[in-house]
Amino acid sequence: MTLAIEATDLVKEYGDVRALSGLSLAVERGEFFGLLGPNGAGKTTFINTLVGLVRKTGGEVRVFGDDVEDDYRKVRNSIGLAPQEFNVDRFFPIREVLMHKAGYHGVSEAEAKRRADEALELVGIYDKRHTRFDWLSGGMKRRLLLARAIVTDPDLLILDEPTAGVDVQLRHDLWEIINRLNDEGTTILLTTHYIEEAERLCDRVAIMDNGRKVTVATPEELMERGSDTITVELRDPPASAPRLDGAVTEIEDVRLEHDRLVVRVEGGGGRVAPRLLNALEDRGHEITDIEISRTSLEEIFVELTEGQRGEVERDGPERDTLEAY
Amino acid sequence: MAAGLHSTRFYALLKREFQRYVRRPWNTFLPPMITNVLYFSVFGVILGARIEEIQGFSYILFLLPGLVVLGAISNAFENASFSIFHGRWNKYIHETLTSPLSYTEMVLAYVLSSASRGVIVGVIIAIIGALFTPVGIAQPFYLVAFMLVVTLLFASLGIVGGLVADDFDHLTVMNQFILRPLVFFGGVFYSLEILPPLWRTVSLLNPMVYMVNGVRYGFLGYSDVDPNAALAVLSGLTVAVVVIDVVLFARGYGLTD
Ligand SMILES: Nc1ncnc2c1ncn2[C@@H]1O[C@H](COP(=O)(O)OP(=O)(O)OP(=O)(O)O)[C@@H](O)[C@H]1O
Ligand SMILES: [Mg+2]
Repeated sequence: MTLAIEATDLVKEYGDVRALSGLSLAVERGEFFGLLGPNGAGKTTFINTLVGLVRKTGGEVRVFGDDVEDDYRKVRNSIGLAPQEFNVDRFFPIREVLMHKAGYHGVSEAEAKRRADEALELVGIYDKRHTRFDWLSGGMKRRLLLARAIVTDPDLLILDEPTAGVDVQLRHDLWEIINRLNDEGTTILLTTHYIEEAERLCDRVAIMDNGRKVTVATPEELMERGSDTITVELRDPPASAPRLDGAVTEIEDVRLEHDRLVVRVEGGGGRVAPRLLNALEDRGHEITDIEISRTSLEEIFVELTEGQRGEVERDGPERDTLEAY
Repeated sequence: MAAGLHSTRFYALLKREFQRYVRRPWNTFLPPMITNVLYFSVFGVILGARIEEIQGFSYILFLLPGLVVLGAISNAFENASFSIFHGRWNKYIHETLTSPLSYTEMVLAYVLSSASRGVIVGVIIAIIGALFTPVGIAQPFYLVAFMLVVTLLFASLGIVGGLVADDFDHLTVMNQFILRPLVFFGGVFYSLEILPPLWRTVSLLNPMVYMVNGVRYGFLGYSDVDPNAALAVLSGLTVAVVVIDVVLFARGYGLTD
């Protein structure tokens, strides 16, 4: 089966800036795929290469098997994009804007009108159909971008930070809409800075940094990679943190905070805790309370992207400071 | 039909472009109306009364075709350059760029809609002129042919202008420093016959001379230059500029990062 998106060694340079440096990525048909990464990671640049707003410097990208440059019309026909920045026609009321967009995709006028109304109703701004874009509120503008992306009935829906700066209600509305589209078979590529959003919606996420892919995994797999923290309360707190690394190999770090021992362990804390408690009791400590907290995806994200920075700057002067963390 | 026209897609963009200016008549049609009423009053009526007949035509009648060309080409140019530039500036040209229109379809939609604005303004100016002085159409075929080719040519030049401009001021500069001088020395206001031989020859390098004389031939049946040769050269030039437009679109010049 052909992939929805297949990027191989994709490079984009803006003068001296290397926005994409050898990005390879595969998104399967029907998947709900998240693209995460800090500001400037290259997410928007990647998306724009798919729809022809950015010319790649090197590498190859295919959408449903078609090359984005050689078969540009087929590729563009299959994509609906809700971009990060507002780029909507200001001359026409929004309903006509949607009809125009559908028309550019070869939809007849009567059908375009029907679809425009349907899309506006779906995103909840049908009342505003005779209004121009400039007169919409910020959240309504976001909704319109989604309506414009789906009015062409795309096989691949790309959402570049669709929930940036929108209220909770709208965020949940958007989630519901795109989830339903995904259930109906639309492939979805979503970028977001709300990690919780990715965790909740995505089948898989790719984490990007510095124009490269750091990792691809399901949200659950990513969580497994994090380190959990086990906090143990001791009856008679020792003067310094006991050395436990010999007894429990998963231990990464042990700190003493007042009367509590804070232990960071690799992987799931639940698996390590019994052995940790045994080791502590062996060493004569009496335990009064224990609490295991899982790392958030957010923390893993920060770890992964910072780690990547460290790798890039391996020989740089920051090495020591980075390792000290 | 790799580069051909897909009717629904193409007409959607053509219609959008057409409606953009038709729905704003105060911005698009009123200014040339006012300007040309002024031209006809001052140059035609007040000054024209003191100017001798040119090639047997009263000055105002001689002036009329020139003003029609001036209005038609500047509006065709302005429409295309503005539409492209404004779309780039506010990024909504992305709506067309990210759609499955071929580059040829995009260019032709912008060119034809802009040319249509030029033709409409030309007709308006001719009607205003007819209110000042009776005017006939001596050569209807040539009139239509020249009006079409000059508006198409300047619409397609306007696309280049809209793509290379980095600033709204650049559009004004193109209009003031390139279009205006060419028009003013292009025989709108005088016949080449009154120029010394050297300047007459130099004037023949100005493409505007052929446009003005072609349209004048359509109205009056008189031209300083051979209308057939003029039509052939201008048509060739138009095709060449349209091809350049398509190449620029295909390369994403001024449109993609
Ligand atoms: N038109 C441009 N010209 C020059 N540099 C650019 C251009 N667009 C993006 N860049 C640079 O390319 C890099 C990647 O930018 P991009 O917008 O793809 O990041 P992003 O991952 O989408 O970030 P964000 O989360 O902030 O939206 C950045 O360093 C940015 O400054
Ligand atoms: Mg971005």
